[in-house]
Amino acid sequence: MAGERIPIESAKQLMKLMMEYYMGAKMAEQTDQKIAWVTSGAPVELLHAAGVIPIYPENHAALCAAQKAAVGLCEAAEERGFSRDLCSYARTEIGSYLTKSGPMGGLPKPDFLLCCNNICGTVTKWYQELQRHFDVPLFFIDAPFIHGEATTDTLDYVHAQIKDVVAGITEIIGKPIEDDVLHDTLVLAAKATSLWSDLLDLLAHRPSPMSSFDTFVHIAPIVVMRGEQRCIDYYEGLTAEIRDRIANGIAAVPGEQFRLGWDNLPVWFKMGALSKRFSQHKACLAAATYASAWAQMIDPEAVDDMLREMARAYLMVYINCGLEKRLDTLLHMVDKFSLDGVVMHSDRSCKAYSLGQYELAKTLRENHDIPTLVLEADMNDSRVYAEEQINARIDAFMETLAAR
Amino acid sequence: MASAISDIVGRLEETCRDPLATARALARDGRKVAAHMCTYTPEELVLAAGYVPIRILGWSAETHRADGLIQAYACSLARSALDLALSGQLDFAELMLFPHTCDTIQNLTDIWQRNVPSMKTIAVSTPVSTGGEAEVVFYRAELERVRGILGKLDAPVTDEALKACLALYAAHRAAMRRLYGIRRANPCALSARGMMSIVLSSFLMPKDDHLAVVEELIAALEAAEIPENGSRPRLFVAGAACSSEAYVAAVEEAGAWIADDNLCTGARAFALQETGCGDPIEELARTYLSRVPCPAKHRPGFDPGAALLEDAQRAKADGVVFLFTKFCDPWAFDYPRMRDALEAAGIPSLLIEIEQHVPPSAQFETRVAAFVEMIDTKEESE
Ligand code: SF4
Ligand code: SF4
Repeated sequence: MAGERIPIESAKQLMKLMMEYYMGAKMAEQTDQKIAWVTSGAPVELLHAAGVIPIYPENHAALCAAQKAAVGLCEAAEERGFSRDLCSYARTEIGSYLTKSGPMGGLPKPDFLLCCNNICGTVTKWYQELQRHFDVPLFFIDAPFIHGEATTDTLDYVHAQIKDVVAGITEIIGKPIEDDVLHDTLVLAAKATSLWSDLLDLLAHRPSPMSSFDTFVHIAPIVVMRGEQRCIDYYEGLTAEIRDRIANGIAAVPGEQFRLGWDNLPVWFKMGALSKRFSQHKACLAAATYASAWAQMIDPEAVDDMLREMARAYLMVYINCGLEKRLDTLLHMVDKFSLDGVVMHSDRSCKAYSLGQYELAKTLRENHDIPTLVLEADMNDSRVYAEEQINARIDAFMETLAAR
Repeated sequence: MASAISDIVGRLEETCRDPLATARALARDGRKVAAHMCTYTPEELVLAAGYVPIRILGWSAETHRADGLIQAYACSLARSALDLALSGQLDFAELMLFPHTCDTIQNLTDIWQRNVPSMKTIAVSTPVSTGGEAEVVFYRAELERVRGILGKLDAPVTDEALKACLALYAAHRAAMRRLYGIRRANPCALSARGMMSIVLSSFLMPKDDHLAVVEELIAALEAAEIPENGSRPRLFVAGAACSSEAYVAAVEEAGAWIADDNLCTGARAFALQETGCGDPIEELARTYLSRVPCPAKHRPGFDPGAALLEDAQRAKADGVVFLFTKFCDPWAFDYPRMRDALEAAGIPSLLIEIEQHVPPSAQFETRVAAFVEMIDTKEESE
C-alpha cells in the first residue's frame, strides 16, 4: 500500500472552476453587473441573493503567493508607504491595484465593498483604504470579539447592522433582496457547507485519503462560491473521488505513521515543500482549524429570521472567539482526527489568528500531553521564511514524536 | 512666576519618574486600583465603582517573561505590560480592564486572563464602529453589563456616583484642553518633557488631585509673561501611545518646539465632548463614541489625512513627526494617507518607529536632528 503519492484528480476541475469564476468577474467589469469586494468572513449570501458578484481579495492574494507573485506586489505597497509589518494579504492586494498587476492582471474593480471585522481588525483598516482608493460605498459590519459567550445585545447589534447592509445593497442594485431568493441562497450555502464539513470528516479515516495541504487548495470554492450551485457540484465530485480513495486504500501520505493538526493560515508559497517534508516523515496533516472555519455556518432550518441567524453564525466564527473556545476546538480536533500532535503556524501577518497560539500550545502540551510545534512564518511573504530553521524544527519535532 | 510653573511641573514629573511606585503608593494609602491600557476605557465608570483607574504603559524594559506567551510581533506596549503583570509588578491593581482596541489587545486579554490570576480581567466590548446609533445602543448595554460586574465586586454603582464622576472627568478634560491651547499659542510655555509628564501623571493620579494641580498650573501660566521664541520650528507629534517623556524630549532637544500632538497619551485622550443627554450611562456611551475616532476604529467617511492636516495647521506646524509603535497596525495603515495629505499642503513629515519599552536611540536623535535641520534650511530659503 505504501507507494507513490497519487494526485487528486479533481484538482484539474478546480483549476477550471476558479478560472471561470475569475474570468466571469473580469468580463462583468465592462457590464452593468455589480461587483463587490468582500472579506472572507462577511455574510456573502446577501451578495449572491442580490445578484452581485463577490470578489475576495484575500483569496486572490493567496493565489498570488501560490504563484510566487506576492513579494513583488508587497514591495509595491511598501514603496507606497505601507509598513512591512502589515498583513501580507493586504500588502499583496494593495500592490496589485497600485501596479495593476497580478496573475490575472489584477482584480475587477468593485462597485462597493463589504467588510466584516469578525476575522480581524486588519480588514477594518484595509477596507477603509480600499474605500478611499476606489471611492465606492463601504458597508462595514462590526462583529464584536467574543471572549466568553455572546450576549443578546451583541447579537442584536450585528443583526441591526446586517439589516442596514441589506438596505444599502437594495439601494445600489435598485431592487430589494427577495426573501425567497435569500432563503434559497442560504439553503445552497448550507448544503455546500455541510458537504465541505463531511469532506473534512473523511480525513479522520486512517490512512487519511487527503491531507490538509489538499484541503487548503480545495477550500477556494467554499470561500468564494458558497451559495452557488456550482460550489455544491464541485464538492459532490470531490467527495466521490475521496470516498473512492478510501475504498481503494489510497493515502495522502503513503505509509502514514503520524497524524498532525495544523493551526492558522497555510504558507501559500511553500505548500509543496512543506507537504513533502512532512511526508518524508510519514506524517499527514489530517485536520486544520483554518479549513474547518468554513465548516460551521448557517443553520438552514433557522430561516424564519434569516438575518438574525446570519448574524449569529458570522459572529461565532473560530477566529472571532477567545482562547477558551479555540482550545476546545483544538482538543476536539485532536480527538476526532486521532492526531499525534499539532503544528501551529505563527503567522506574523495575522495577529488575530496568531497571538494566543503560544498559550494554546503551552496548554495543549502541559495540560493535555499533546505535542506541539510552533513554526514562525508568514502566509504570503517569503522574505521572512527561514527555510533551514523551519526544516530543522520539523525534523526535530518528528524525531520526538517517533520517540514517544 | 516661572519658578511656580516649574515647581508644579516638577511635581508632576516626579510622579512619572517611577510610575509603578506612584501606583503602589496609592494602593498603600488604601485606594483600590484598576489598571487598563487604552483611552477608550470608561474611567468614569471605574471610578464610580470605587477604583482609581491607572493606565499601564511600556514600563518594563524586560519582556522575556512575556516572550514565552506572546510573539515578538505583538507591539511593545502589549509585551511590556504583560511582562509587568507576569513579574508581579502590577500587584497594586485588583482589576485589569481591556476595552476592545486591536487584534493584539483582543488576544492579549485572554492571555492575561489565563496567566495573571491575581487580577480580575474585564473585557469591555467597545464597538469598533463609531458614529451611528446602533453602536450607541450596543455600547450602552455593554456599559450596563460592565457596571453590573463592577457593582458586584463591592457596592452597586449608583447613578449619582456616576454623574459626579462624569462631571469630574469633563472638568479635567476641559482643563487639559486649555493647557493644550496655551501650549499651542506659545510652545515655549511648556517643555515637551513637562507637557508629557502632565499627561502621563494624569493616568497615574486620582483625577480630582490631578485636576487641582492642572488648575494651579493654568493660573500660574496665565499670570506669567512668557516670551515667545519664534526661531525654532514648530512640530506636531502624531501617533499612538508614548510611554515616557524621553521621546518627545529628544524631539525638542533637537532644536524644535512641539506645538501640539494627537497622541493617545496626549491631546487625543482629552478630545472628548460631553453630550449632556441626562442618563449617565448613555452619556458615557455617547461621549466615548463621538470622539475623534482612534485609528483602531471605523467611522464612515472619516479621512485620517484630512483630520491630521487640520490639526497640524491649527498648530501652525512646520513639520510632523510620526511617533509610531512598531507592529501597531492601525496607525501603519493610515500612514500613507496622512503623509500625503501633509505633503500636498507643503508640510514635511518624519516617520519613526519606537519600541515603547526602549529609550530613544542615538539613531532616533540623529534622524530627528536631521529633520529639524531640514525644516530650518527650508524656512531660511523661503
Ligand atoms: S490574514 Fe489575518 S490579518 Fe490578514 S486579512 Fe486574514 S484574518 Fe486579517
Ligand atoms: S499600540 Fe497599536 S497595536 Fe499596540 S495596543 Fe495600541 S493600537 Fe494595538
